[in-house]
Amino acid sequence: MERSNSNMSTLGGMRPSRRVLTAVAVLAGTVLAGCAENAPQDLFEPAGPNARKIDEGLGGQRFIFIISGIVAAIVIGAVSYIVVKFKDRGQDIPEQTHGNPKLEIALTILPAIILATIAVPTVVKVFELNESDDAACVVNVTGQQWWWEYDYPAQTCGGITIKDPIITSGEMVIPAGVPVQLRITSRDVIHSFWIPALNGKRDAVPGRLHPLRMEADNPGIYVGQCTEFCGLSHARMRQAVVALDAADFQTWVDNQLEPYTSPEAGTLAAEGESQYISQCSRCHQVNGLTDSEGNPVLSNPDENVYSGSAPNLTNLMTRTGFAGFTWDLITEECRNELWNAPSEEFGDMYLAGVWMNTPEGADRPVCFNEVELREWLRNAPGMKPMYANPAQLEKTGGLYRGMPNLGLNEQQIDQLIAYLLVRK
Amino acid sequence: MFTTGSKLFVGAAALSTIGSVVFAITTGGPTGFMGTIGFITAAVVFWFLAGINFFTRDGSAPAMEQGVQYTSSAAQPPVGRSMWPAVAALGVAGLAVGVVSTPVVFKVSVVVILAALVEWMVQGWSERASGSASYNASIRQRILHPLEFPILAAVGLGAVIYAFSRIMLGIKLEYGRILFIILGALVLGVAFLFAFKRGVSKGTVAGVSAVFAVGLLGVGVASAVQGQKTIEHHQGLTPDVCLETASEDKMHHADEDANRGVSAEAGVIASVELQSNGVLIARNAAVVQGADNFSEIVVPRSSTVSIVFRNNYEGEHRLTARLGTFGEEPEVIQCTARIEEGQEQVLVIKIPKSSKASTSTMMVMVPSLPGQEIKVLVP
Repeated sequence: MERSNSNMSTLGGMRPSRRVLTAVAVLAGTVLAGCAENAPQDLFEPAGPNARKIDEGLGGQRFIFIISGIVAAIVIGAVSYIVVKFKDRGQDIPEQTHGNPKLEIALTILPAIILATIAVPTVVKVFELNESDDAACVVNVTGQQWWWEYDYPAQTCGGITIKDPIITSGEMVIPAGVPVQLRITSRDVIHSFWIPALNGKRDAVPGRLHPLRMEADNPGIYVGQCTEFCGLSHARMRQAVVALDAADFQTWVDNQLEPYTSPEAGTLAAEGESQYISQCSRCHQVNGLTDSEGNPVLSNPDENVYSGSAPNLTNLMTRTGFAGFTWDLITEECRNELWNAPSEEFGDMYLAGVWMNTPEGADRPVCFNEVELREWLRNAPGMKPMYANPAQLEKTGGLYRGMPNLGLNEQQIDQLIAYLLVRK
Repeated sequence: MFTTGSKLFVGAAALSTIGSVVFAITTGGPTGFMGTIGFITAAVVFWFLAGINFFTRDGSAPAMEQGVQYTSSAAQPPVGRSMWPAVAALGVAGLAVGVVSTPVVFKVSVVVILAALVEWMVQGWSERASGSASYNASIRQRILHPLEFPILAAVGLGAVIYAFSRIMLGIKLEYGRILFIILGALVLGVAFLFAFKRGVSKGTVAGVSAVFAVGLLGVGVASAVQGQKTIEHHQGLTPDVCLETASEDKMHHADEDANRGVSAEAGVIASVELQSNGVLIARNAAVVQGADNFSEIVVPRSSTVSIVFRNNYEGEHRLTARLGTFGEEPEVIQCTARIEEGQEQVLVIKIPKSSKASTSTMMVMVPSLPGQEIKVLVP
């Protein structure tokens, strides 16, 4: 009896209030975490028909979230009540009851009804989401450790003619308001493509092409990340979909298909071109680039990289991110400006890229995030963990997974930066 | 002083101990090391068992009573004859034969000797476990049947499978099919008969089964001695077959061997159709409005993808993929088998380099219809 009295006094003292405070703090932290302003991967802010379909209506995530929330509240509430109310305080053991058919039947039927209520509309929705016969554009999406490549076959994409194939990486540019059919595959291990604002996840599996319909209502940038653990830098395998209105998309396509022009002889960029040919062209491709004898410079990533591919750098400076969209090519300030731009202004700003906000005639772009690009060129594996140590490549027969440290000196980096800046 | 069981184990332990010393001295290397460890392990186990038997007087509590020399289980005379000495001797002879012939005989003999020793030891112990012969037999069965039955069943099944496989490998494909049908029907019929004829004696069932088993093993051994039938290996869809410059006979065999199925639906990047008017077109696997008739196929580099070929034109045609010439290597050529009108076949390709790196044009084509080509592009 003494022991139970002692417990009683403890319950009535400081401990319960501390527990309550802790519980309130945890709950508040959980709830407040949902108030983040900068949350571009918010599941509950759909920006396209497919994502909206996932979000709304019977079988949508809100519907399931509410039902699950009610069930969770009832279960947690009941358990909490029972724990507090019937806590062992030394009282006599109550009369034990064994078996209650009515209650057991009710507890079986009720969850079955709840599950059926969720399952039927969800399955219907899954089939609806799989419909893609209205797609007006095709993009092949290929994952590899740890970046995404997008190639556009020659086609008429939402009324805009792509006369030659386009290849890019990190950011996939699509026309806004046009349903696009993605054909997703992988070159090495299983990845998963996910842009929460536009659609659900779809696995990228080697040897298989998985379709995914994607459509953005308005111009803007929609970000996501790989959602299938795929190795060392899985967390740094990000991606974005950039939606442009028809005119801006046309501009982007025209720009991507512009013939290559060499930097003016004697400039730092021209020296950078030579550096690029000697240091980078084993894996990276710049379309149209020729050597001093006029022969095309062609990359052989299949002889150097496990996945058999490395990002095409032909129009690097038309993108806003690099290294698997993990780092920005534009400064943080410019990125905030771009990402929060109104739809009608977004296209112009995106197409300006690193040259955004740069006065006419200036020779260096204002928005260029040179610091991180320099750091990347100085020691890529130091920024992003990769299997790029030449002494540890036995498992892949000497092939890299990721970009190795090229041991460039500062002068070589200056030259390469100057050359990459004109890849626009 | 020593009980019968402990004598047996003391003998085995002594043999193992001597064996370990002899093996350690005469055999070097990993074999000597492992063998010595094996012998030492056996010696420790036998010494342990010998000690237990000695301590418990062979498990007979009244063994210390007066007159025990007449009534104890250890004093009972051996019952029946044992075949295990003969089996062990056969094993030893097999060892000698194995040393001068093939390692398989040696290994089998080792297994036979070990099995005979275990059986012999357990039989020897169980025959004196008590004064009751029936009880002794029952404890022997209780110990050994859980081992004997699964091992014998596995050996018997293995023998049947091996014999049957030798027969099937020894005869022609057509006869094999007939034999399979006849044997299957026979087994089914006999099993049916046994199941419904309740009056059939155990002896009849055993006799029929034995005749069948002996017949099967006999024919199996004969087939193994006869050797495997000659299987012709074709070179498959070689470049000359794909370009239809090979002889008609070679193309016929290659097409016969090729897989005709369309199975890789999930990886299909495009379907190529030879239309009823003899014109080759490509369709994107994704249904795209206004973009379903491509004059070229774009394939991601270093990705495994499939192209489905459908022949809707009269006659037999194949789809040939010319996937580039890189450096000094010969042109990469792959193709489907020739298929008749209305059929489909899949072509799985992986192109490691950009189209621009190839000195020849990448394309898929129908070699029997000049000019029917679709360009393949690897950006």
